[in-house]
Amino acid sequence: MKNLFLLLLSIVSITAFSQDKLSTTSGHIKFFSSTPAEDIEANNYKVISNLTPATGVLVFSVSMQSFEFEKALMQKHYNSKKFLDTKQFPKSKFKGAITNVSDIDFTSDGSYEANVTGTLTIHGVAKEITEKLIVTVKDGAVTGMTTFDIILADYGVVFTSGKPSTNISKTVKITAHLNFSK
Amino acid sequence: MKSKIFKLIAVIAVLGIAYTGYIWFMPHRNIQSTKAFAAIESTALVNEFLKDKAKANDLYLDSEGESKVLIITGRVATISKDQLGQHVVLLKDASEKMGVSCTFTLDSNAQVDKIKVGDSIKIKGVIRSGAEYDEDLDLSENVIVEKAAIVT
Repeated sequence: MKNLFLLLLSIVSITAFSQDKLSTTSGHIKFFSSTPAEDIEANNYKVISNLTPATGVLVFSVSMQSFEFEKALMQKHYNSKKFLDTKQFPKSKFKGAITNVSDIDFTSDGSYEANVTGTLTIHGVAKEITEKLIVTVKDGAVTGMTTFDIILADYGVVFTSGKPSTNISKTVKITAHLNFSK
Repeated sequence: MKSKIFKLIAVIAVLGIAYTGYIWFMPHRNIQSTKAFAAIESTALVNEFLKDKAKANDLYLDSEGESKVLIITGRVATISKDQLGQHVVLLKDASEKMGVSCTFTLDSNAQVDKIKVGDSIKIKGVIRSGAEYDEDLDLSENVIVEKAAIVT
């Protein structure tokens, strides 16, 4: 009877551990655009993300008005209705999963290449994406790093005239650093 | 006559260049010297977004990113640092699931050294986004306030 109780307790403990989430509320995301006219970079330190090691489920949310630009004018253009319309769409979101999560040992120091597939929603437009994420485990801390390009037109951001059409690249580079903790 | 026309064109050109220069190098808004739109309790602000997200977004967010400057009163639940080294103070009552996350600047960071978890404080900052529980993502999101400083 005692053994049965211990077995049940172990199963409950394992189940509870497997549902544990790693999370962050201070992930960093950067976008970089380069044209002959100028280079534009913006940084955001307010990325919220959860990663469930047992299932590989990865979600994140980005407060769009938290992107900071060097020039105030760029920041206004970026937030405006003609660009990302951040009043109407104040957050960008991602819901997906690491498809090769069994290749990652979250309990052992190392660097692992994860394949992430899911839905990225920017400017109210949802699009399926597949990207690489480098998961690093060091002294129990887990971080995720990724760099990928997005085509603005895929998310309904199109310029036909004016300064943004010449100064902002049609494709921008996204870099994210997710610093997870339990 | 030609001379007068030439001078007029020169003046217009100089004014045009000066205006373009001003717009191009326009400084960022100084949040702490901007008049606050409202003073509000952290719980009340969270609840406004949970009750009617669209209405709260419309009230507090600006279409060019110059959203409302607020003075928020609340109890310090956690104190942490972001990847830039800026202090982040979460104002949240123990009974609530979500609160107001206030990110200080490298200039106002030192103010946080004087507070501790459990203190009731007032913070002035600019709102960036509202609170919500995203059921699809199973993600609880605090109100985000940045460029924060403590109001004494």
